[in-house]
Amino acid sequence: MDPAFLTIAELNRLYDRRDVSPVAVTRALLDRIAAHDGKLDSFIRVTPETALVEAEAAERELLAGRRRGPLHGVPYALKDIIETAGIPTTGHSKLCQDHVPQEDADLVRRLKEGGAVLLGKLATWEFALGGPSFDLPWPPARNPWNRDYLPGGSSSGAGAAVAAGFVPGAVGTDTGGSIRGPAAVCGICGLKPTYGRVSRRGVFPNTFTMDHCGPLARSAEDIALFLQVIAGFDPADPGSEDVPVPDYRAALNQGIAGMRLGLVAHWYEEGAHPDVAPAMAAAVAVLRDLGAVVEPVVLSSLRDYTDCKTTISTAELYAIHEADLKRRPQDFGRVLRNRVLPGALIRAEDYIQALRWRTVLAREQALALKRVDALVTAGSLGVADRAVPDEPDPLVRVPNITMPFSVGGLPALNIPCGFSRQEGLPLSLQIAAAPMAEAAVLRIAHAFQQATDWHRRHPDLG
Amino acid sequence: MRTDLSHLPPSREGEVRAMLERAGLDLPEELVQQFLAIWPSYEAMVRRIPRTLDRAAEPAHSYRAVRIARA
Repeated sequence: MDPAFLTIAELNRLYDRRDVSPVAVTRALLDRIAAHDGKLDSFIRVTPETALVEAEAAERELLAGRRRGPLHGVPYALKDIIETAGIPTTGHSKLCQDHVPQEDADLVRRLKEGGAVLLGKLATWEFALGGPSFDLPWPPARNPWNRDYLPGGSSSGAGAAVAAGFVPGAVGTDTGGSIRGPAAVCGICGLKPTYGRVSRRGVFPNTFTMDHCGPLARSAEDIALFLQVIAGFDPADPGSEDVPVPDYRAALNQGIAGMRLGLVAHWYEEGAHPDVAPAMAAAVAVLRDLGAVVEPVVLSSLRDYTDCKTTISTAELYAIHEADLKRRPQDFGRVLRNRVLPGALIRAEDYIQALRWRTVLAREQALALKRVDALVTAGSLGVADRAVPDEPDPLVRVPNITMPFSVGGLPALNIPCGFSRQEGLPLSLQIAAAPMAEAAVLRIAHAFQQATDWHRRHPDLG
Repeated sequence: MRTDLSHLPPSREGEVRAMLERAGLDLPEELVQQFLAIWPSYEAMVRRIPRTLDRAAEPAHSYRAVRIARA
């Protein structure tokens, strides 16, 4: 049995029936990575020795009838800004290429306790911001649907590795869309949980007030299973929320009949790829067929949300990288350096005004979510970008459709909803809900995926 | 009443160089040139931020003493 595109839920059922073992799955996926990742560069570092030790331990426990949870014996990989004790964590940067952490990030500790099997560390845009970059110690990852294209970012390796069938799930980070963007353009699912739902401890910071860690996987059900393991309160993370973790899988099959969904169409009706609006119309028709009541919602413009988010981020990023920028600016990739340096000229009053504006924009979303159960919009305004060095940086010029829910700190999930006609590349639907309402987001996505098969389509790596 | 600073003229090259110097950045000329190319879009972004929020409007992260003590 080729486990390449088995979901986490399917692996659980196969492990229960002893039809396949964690060691066999781990070996098969390591072989697949060895055979194909030379074309995709999704991994910075594969850890086969660690993986096989963890897989053997999981296999022993499962055979003894002791199941630790839904990721027990399940292979996964980590974006290389998430610290792993004894395993280099580089941020995909020359600045940290020899950094070996002493401790695991909190979410890694949870994954180890849950018996998951780490296959390696994944490519990222430099420090989860600077990319795509062609001047770093490792090449940028490529999109498995067409390696002339990029897998989005900043969780670039995570998007590529999950879509390529190297791992059934991965952990990325999302400050302005770095989980949801790669999920969108790689044709997989990616969840930015509520701010404070998953600990940031042991993760390289990007923007303290907007950094989120979350899973990428191939179905909403798998996202639910993954989130179950990594969510939870961490007293050492000042942003962590002490809120009980519900059973995310339990709500998946409740259906969406009668749910009220707010469609934010004005964010993608102008300036998007021509296939986005038709794909969204088809997705909304599916949601209506499933019994949801879909009504229009108007929020502030993407330009407003992007300006607010990027001003805050740029100021915080500069504070993080100031010392290195002054000592060794040439060791930064060009894209990261040019995205961080503007923070030196952002004044304190600009930063504070942006933070005050954030409160206004977040309240606007909260008010909308008193009228509807969830907001839906496009997951991306376009398809994957071509892998071309030295393209003009779009970060500030082009509004971003994932940033609004970063500003709100809301749970937001991207799932596949079609392919573009010309390029044959994935398109995506984005679903967001009130803080800590991940279960509602997952329920809507799961219902959609029971009625469609976009998430079951996979690239052919040859 | 105008709610932002977008009416202000873009900073001139000499002004940007002076701001970099005041920030303690002594960059090689090649990197300064790269910065001069990208700064106008950032300056325009910052100037679009509204400036007329209510006096009591709170920033999105306020100090939370309990969280600090807990950690």
